[in-house]
Amino acid sequence: METSGKQSGSPVALASVAFLKIHEFVRRPVTEQARLRAQLEAVVAVTAAELDPASRVLLDAADGVAVVVLGDPIGTLRLAERALSAATAGLPLSAGINFGAVQLAGSGKGDEGLLGDGIAVAANVAEFAAPSALLVSRSFRDALADAQPGLEAQMLTAGTFTDSGLRTHELFAPDHRIPRRRRRRFVAASAAAAVLFVGAGVGARIQADGQERFMKAVQAKYRDAAAQGRSYVQGLVAKVKF
Amino acid sequence: MARKKLARIGRYKIVGELGRGAMGVVYKAEDPNLDRVVALKTILLSDDAEGRKDYHKRFFLEAKAAGKLTHPHIVTTYDFGEEDDLAYLAMELLEGDDLRTRMKEGPLAVADSVDIAQQVADGLGFAHERGVVHRDIKPGNIMLLPRGQAKIMDFGIARMRSDDFKTSTGIVMGTPRFMSPEQVAGEPVDQRSDIFSLGVVLYEMLTGTALFAGEDTPQIAHNVTNLEHVPPSRLNPEVPSMLDFAVARALKKDPAVRYQDAYEFAVDLRTCLAELRSRETAEKKEANGGTRTIKIDTTVERAPLAPAARSIVSDTQLPLSRQFDSFGALQRLSSQSRRDRKILASAPRPVKFLRRVSLDAGPRLLFLTSLVAAAAGVYIALG
Repeated sequence: METSGKQSGSPVALASVAFLKIHEFVRRPVTEQARLRAQLEAVVAVTAAELDPASRVLLDAADGVAVVVLGDPIGTLRLAERALSAATAGLPLSAGINFGAVQLAGSGKGDEGLLGDGIAVAANVAEFAAPSALLVSRSFRDALADAQPGLEAQMLTAGTFTDSGLRTHELFAPDHRIPRRRRRRFVAASAAAAVLFVGAGVGARIQADGQERFMKAVQAKYRDAAAQGRSYVQGLVAKVKF
Repeated sequence: MARKKLARIGRYKIVGELGRGAMGVVYKAEDPNLDRVVALKTILLSDDAEGRKDYHKRFFLEAKAAGKLTHPHIVTTYDFGEEDDLAYLAMELLEGDDLRTRMKEGPLAVADSVDIAQQVADGLGFAHERGVVHRDIKPGNIMLLPRGQAKIMDFGIARMRSDDFKTSTGIVMGTPRFMSPEQVAGEPVDQRSDIFSLGVVLYEMLTGTALFAGEDTPQIAHNVTNLEHVPPSRLNPEVPSMLDFAVARALKKDPAVRYQDAYEFAVDLRTCLAELRSRETAEKKEANGGTRTIKIDTTVERAPLAPAARSIVSDTQLPLSRQFDSFGALQRLSSQSRRDRKILASAPRPVKFLRRVSLDAGPRLLFLTSLVAAAAGVYIALG
């Protein structure tokens, strides 16, 4: 492992970091390591093409690649998910995404690179992830929520893990069934709210006028509407329209 | 050592002296029974009776094990015995130089280095299968024959050296610069230790640099245990990337993730060798076609070594990928515009009620439905 000094004057930036790690890389035969590495580079070339070149930095790790994305958490998530789908083509990847600090490092003579907690946590999360699995940190989930409220809901709690620095990270895994379930739940809640509010209005009216008088009034309105050649509901709508 | 000029040791007639080492003298000798010329390696036995007994026992045990190793890449031991205060081994007499001498003469071609390493790995694989670990693989123990054949010397007796390296935990046998971390620590070693040592030898052949150099033995031992190597391709651009992987695997500090088997290492080296040979052929063809050779600019400083995910911490620098151009984003990071400063320095804001109902479809539906239903309820209630 090589650690390096930060570039003097280089500001710290907050960015999304997707770490794509080849599973069990060191244990594989060297011929396979070379093949997997070339395959990973091809996958990253395709997936990173969707990102603005001025907003992504690609970094090498011994057993994977780190993609640092400036200001596009949704794009970062999509990149990691698309890369993981390459597992079906025989590339055993796991991925970890974090949102955190990164900084330029190196002397500027061909040894530039990045360092920072953003990268370290993403690497740790990827290390913790099972093959073909994507895990994201709490800070990335928050960044996703900030970018598009509601998107964070598809992240299901996947437990916690403690890294080598004894920091505990809360992890989440995307579940694409959740948005549909959530939509259904909101539709049901909306219907229930409608029934509740309208029912409450009806209840209040019955309590004030009595049930018989209320029913007669409704029937009279229904007849009036029929006489005018429109349905009772159309009449109500016309009233609502003022 | 040879305090008097010897004419005969055991049944062997001394013809001349081939060299002197830490253990004793190596003679050229004749075996009158088989009319064969051999190399006779002598080892001076201890004067101390108890030490001698122990030494004697170990020597015969090791020599017996080594005598069973008949392989094209291992120097064959024909016979062994003891006379007066000398133990001796009669071995195959080879014409050639050892690898240490060859490396001193100048850099080796990458393909030649890989070829030598794969032959040694084959020999080690054979010995390891029979339960014999060398424990002192180093250039001085690898013999190169005129036709490019490599042979491992001193199998079995390498551990009989008298100048063994001493640690706080006990005596460690071998040459510290080529030792494995477990060997340096004085822990029990197995075949994986030889694989590490061969990895160091290969690294030094490829780069022409001493991997674990140090001013003294403790410093070398510290480097063996802690220093991560720079991939050979960064020091010698002719080294293919696949060879980087093979060397990295042989040089893993943890024996559990190192090559477990020397044959496995040999297979990978053979694949690298095939790649190198095909590259050489292609280059020759290109040269015949009149293409120009472009010299690679090596003035750029060495890029830092890419660490594995497991070892990345906050101050670990990851190098830029050579496969992708990240210049635009690096520019943004190094000289941030006012807009970038705002974007890149802001932590995620919590999503509050108004943003939630305006941007999140589900809560928006619930909110609007509730609002309309509540208005309808009020209308109904008030008539």
